[in-house]
Formats: sequence, C-alpha cells, structure tokens
Amino acid sequence: MYVNSVFIDDTFAEAFPMRAARIVVTAVNARWAREAALKLTGFATSVIACKCEAAIERELESHETPDARPGISVLLFAMDTEGLGKRLVERIGQTVITCPTTSCFDGLPGAEQRLTPGKLLRVFGDGFQGSKVVGNDRFWRVPVMDGECLLQESFGVAKGVGGGNFIILGADSRSTLAAAEASVAAIANMEGVILPFPGGIARSGSKVGSRRYKGLAASTNDAFCPTLRPLTASSLPDDVDSVLEIVLDGLDEESIRRAMRAGIAAACLPGIRAITAGNYGGKLGPHHFPLRSILDEKAEAGARP
Amino acid sequence: MSDRVTLTLRAPLQESIEADAIVPSAFATLGEAEIGALPVWAGRARRVLGDYFQVSGGRSTTVRIVGDVRRAHGIATGMAAGDLVVDGDAGARFAFEMSGGRADVLGSAGDDAGVAMSGGSLHVRGDAGDRVGAGLAGASRGMTGGEIVVGGSVGAHAGARMRRGLLFVGGNAGELAARAIIAGTVIVIGRVGPEPAFANKRGSLIVAGGVDVPATYRHACDYEPPHVRLALTYLARRYDISLGAGLVDGTYRRYCGDASTVARGEILEWIRE
Repeated sequence: MYVNSVFIDDTFAEAFPMRAARIVVTAVNARWAREAALKLTGFATSVIACKCEAAIERELESHETPDARPGISVLLFAMDTEGLGKRLVERIGQTVITCPTTSCFDGLPGAEQRLTPGKLLRVFGDGFQGSKVVGNDRFWRVPVMDGECLLQESFGVAKGVGGGNFIILGADSRSTLAAAEASVAAIANMEGVILPFPGGIARSGSKVGSRRYKGLAASTNDAFCPTLRPLTASSLPDDVDSVLEIVLDGLDEESIRRAMRAGIAAACLPGIRAITAGNYGGKLGPHHFPLRSILDEKAEAGARP
Repeated sequence: MSDRVTLTLRAPLQESIEADAIVPSAFATLGEAEIGALPVWAGRARRVLGDYFQVSGGRSTTVRIVGDVRRAHGIATGMAAGDLVVDGDAGARFAFEMSGGRADVLGSAGDDAGVAMSGGSLHVRGDAGDRVGAGLAGASRGMTGGEIVVGGSVGAHAGARMRRGLLFVGGNAGELAARAIIAGTVIVIGRVGPEPAFANKRGSLIVAGGVDVPATYRHACDYEPPHVRLALTYLARRYDISLGAGLVDGTYRRYCGDASTVARGEILEWIRE
C-alpha cells in the first residue's frame, strides 16, 4: 500500500494496557496554566525510566473548565493504579501547588475507579486546610502564599493504552523531521491521546534489553539506526538515512487509532520512503494497530512511481 | 406506568393540609388510584389526596403539582429520588429531610424549606421563609448535604447549624444567617441581616450585597477565593443563574471566626470586581 507515494508497511503497532488520569489545571490566564502543565508533564517520556508518561492533551477554553478559567488538560499514564497514584501525588504536589494562581481538577469524572491525591496533598496545609463539597465532589483548599490552591480530592482512573506508535523512514533528517512535525501537528489537541516524547517525537527508538549489557532494560533499536546499517541486521531500505518515531498513549484504542490515522496521513510527504511500526510479534501487549487497516479510508492504493 | 404523575388542585385550598404523602420516590410503585387514596390531614380530619387533587398518571417518580399549594405543608418530606415540580408556591416544610432527587418550586416556599436535608437538589425560584436549610428544633445539625438554591430572599436562620452542603440565596437573608454552622457554605448575593454566622465553626458565609461583620471575626486579607469561583460557576451552570462576572472574578475580604468557637470559619465579603 502507498499513500502519496509513501510505502505503508504491512505490519502493526503493538501497545499495552496502562492506567491513566486526566488532570485539568486552570490558572488566572493561559500562560500560567501552561507553565504548570509543562512542569507537570516534565520528565515523563517513558515508563522505562520516568515511571510514567505524560503530556498536554489540549488547551481548554474557560467554558470547558470547572472554574471558568483558562486551562490545560494533561493525560498521565502509569503501568498500574498504585504507580499512577504515586505519580499524581508527586507531580501535582510539586508542580501545580507550587505554581501561582493554579487550581487542579479531575478530568475523568465518570470513571468508577478513583484515586485520592488531593486527600493526601491536603496535609501540606498543616492543619489549616479546609474542604468544600461542590456538586458531588470534594475540593481541598490549601493555604499558600498567594491565597489558596484548590485541589480536587479524587481523580478518575481509566484503563488506557500505552505504546501506540508509527515509525517514519525518510531519505534525510530534514525531510523526516518535517514529516514528524506534520504528524504531531495533525494529532495535537486531539481528545484522549498524547505524544509523551519531546515535541511529540522520539529519535531514540529502543528494543527490549541489550545485546551487550546485562540488566539494561532497553537499548538502541540498532535495526533502525542508519549509521549501523553494515554492522547489524538492519531493517532499513538503502534509500533511508533518517528515522523518527511517534509514540502515542491514549485513553482507549479508538483514540490511538484516530490519531495514528491522522498522523500517518500527515507524514506522507516528499522525502519520506516508508511508514512502519514497532511490535514484538504480539507478545508485548494485547492492543494491535495494523497500519494498513487503520489507513484504509485514507489510502490511495497504487504502484510506486 | 406513565411518564409523570400530575396532581392538579381541584379548588383553591381553604384550609391548611398536611400533604407529606406527596413524595415522588414513593409514587414509583403506586398507580393513579393508589396515589389518590394516600392520606392527607386537614387538622384532625383524615382525608385522601384525591379529595384535593385530580391525579393523572402513576408509577413514576416524575411529579408535577399544578395549583397554588402554599397551604399544603410537608410536600416532598423524605424525598429520596425523582423529580418534583411545583407550578406555583409551596407551603411550609417543603422537602423536609430530603435526601435525593430534584425538587423545583416555580414560586415561593414557606418556612422550613429543606430543613434537615441530607442530599439532592432543592430549587426555589421565588422567596423562602425562615430556617431554610436549617435543622429541626433542638437538633445538633442542620443540613448535612445537598444543595438549596433560592432565587429570591430568605427569612431568618438560613442554613442554621449546617454541617455540609450548599445554600445559595439570590436576594437578601434575614437575621442570624448561617447561625452556628459547623461546615458547609452559605452564599448570599444580597445583604444579610444582623448577627451573621454567629458561632460559626468551620463554615463559609459568602456575602455580596453587604454584611455587618461581627466583632468576633478578624480580618485576614483581600483575595480571590478559588472555591467561591468554583461554587458560583457550578451554580450558574447547573441552575442557569445569571451572576455578574464581577462576583465570579471578584475580590473578597476574608474574615476568620467566629472567635466564640473554634474560629475556623469565615465570612467572605465581596468588595470589588
């Protein structure tokens, strides 16, 4: 299959179950909501070393937030519910409470499973904290030096999907980066999905374990490194000299499928030779995303010119 | 089973009646005839609902009362679920001990509306009398949950001894508003009468239209309280209340008190946009 003369590999992306929370941060203006969200999602590219994956989902207009202020929606993923709870406490405590004018709300009100980071973080108030129930939800008022930080007590937990991906194979680094940027732009602000790597793009795709170093959880994906073409069992065609990967985490399979469809279509630009995906033969996780069937609606099947 | 039960007053009430049998959650299993046979007390005389109301529909928790029932007391007593609309004024003790569902009075309500409420939503479009959202006489707690929204003004002792919940008053409140509240929130858009939030422990009295702050409260600061913004935004959206942006975004003067108790409560006085 080809899309805009770009070969779409007959393979699938393999993803695994994660636990997810949606955090809504509001502030006096969009700038300060974003400042908090950027810190909240810092150092959260991969669970391999960061213990969680997080990124900004989208900006929220004031009519979309509980307190009618500008806000940012963040998705945070961890491997299990316990880990998710710890990350919420650490990150909200250190990045939202500390940020001027912010308040922090749950973005998954319908979720049955709940974590209570607000209940734990309230003790920062050293006994001066107070709570309010608005609607069916409890909020903690933690006194801080610019007034009060308002934290929702409980946050919903969703059964999310982590590790969705597609890999862009390009003729050179410039065109490959441009295609990846186009993918990120196409996916940006889509509901229910995030791209946790810097700017939404990963260059250091990894394989499980290491050929040389015992105990290493992950090491470079040598099969996709152009500089190693003659030194390893390379997966790269001769005319590919640069590879970038888009990794996606979503609240459900459909969110990832929708984002992959848009992202892959946007990446099929001049200079791109092929799009493929990372999988482990179906052994890593139960969520499989076949590239060609995802693209079915968008594909322009035909012979390569 | 029907979509709703409609109770239409046959004739203007010439006497006060105890109509605590009108409870939407209880109508779920009752047919039209059974609802009409429910007891109603007129003084010491036992009558039935059908004597006063024409009943149409049955086996539904959606109930509408048509007619002026300001002399019918105790409507929606112990209401736990369903929807009730009173198409006019309601009498005393409306939604007494309500624990769930939604009750909407399109006119005004008498004294003791929402007394001992523990959940659900009570919306009075007009005024309400004394002790709205308060407790039973002698009870240690008033309202322990739920929401009461009054579009107009309320009488004395509004929200007295509230333990939890939200009481919103679009107009003025009489004397001793939020008296001895343990926690919870009372919001008054108009002015409050003398001795507000007396013996307040941990509750919040928020006033936009003027308040004489008792000497047992101490000024803390002027700021934009985020929980007030949240509560007002929530109320405006849920009850379609028109609140000026100046109230939601505004600056409030915080007073801590009441010093006669644990002094963990507050009066928040709106001072500017």
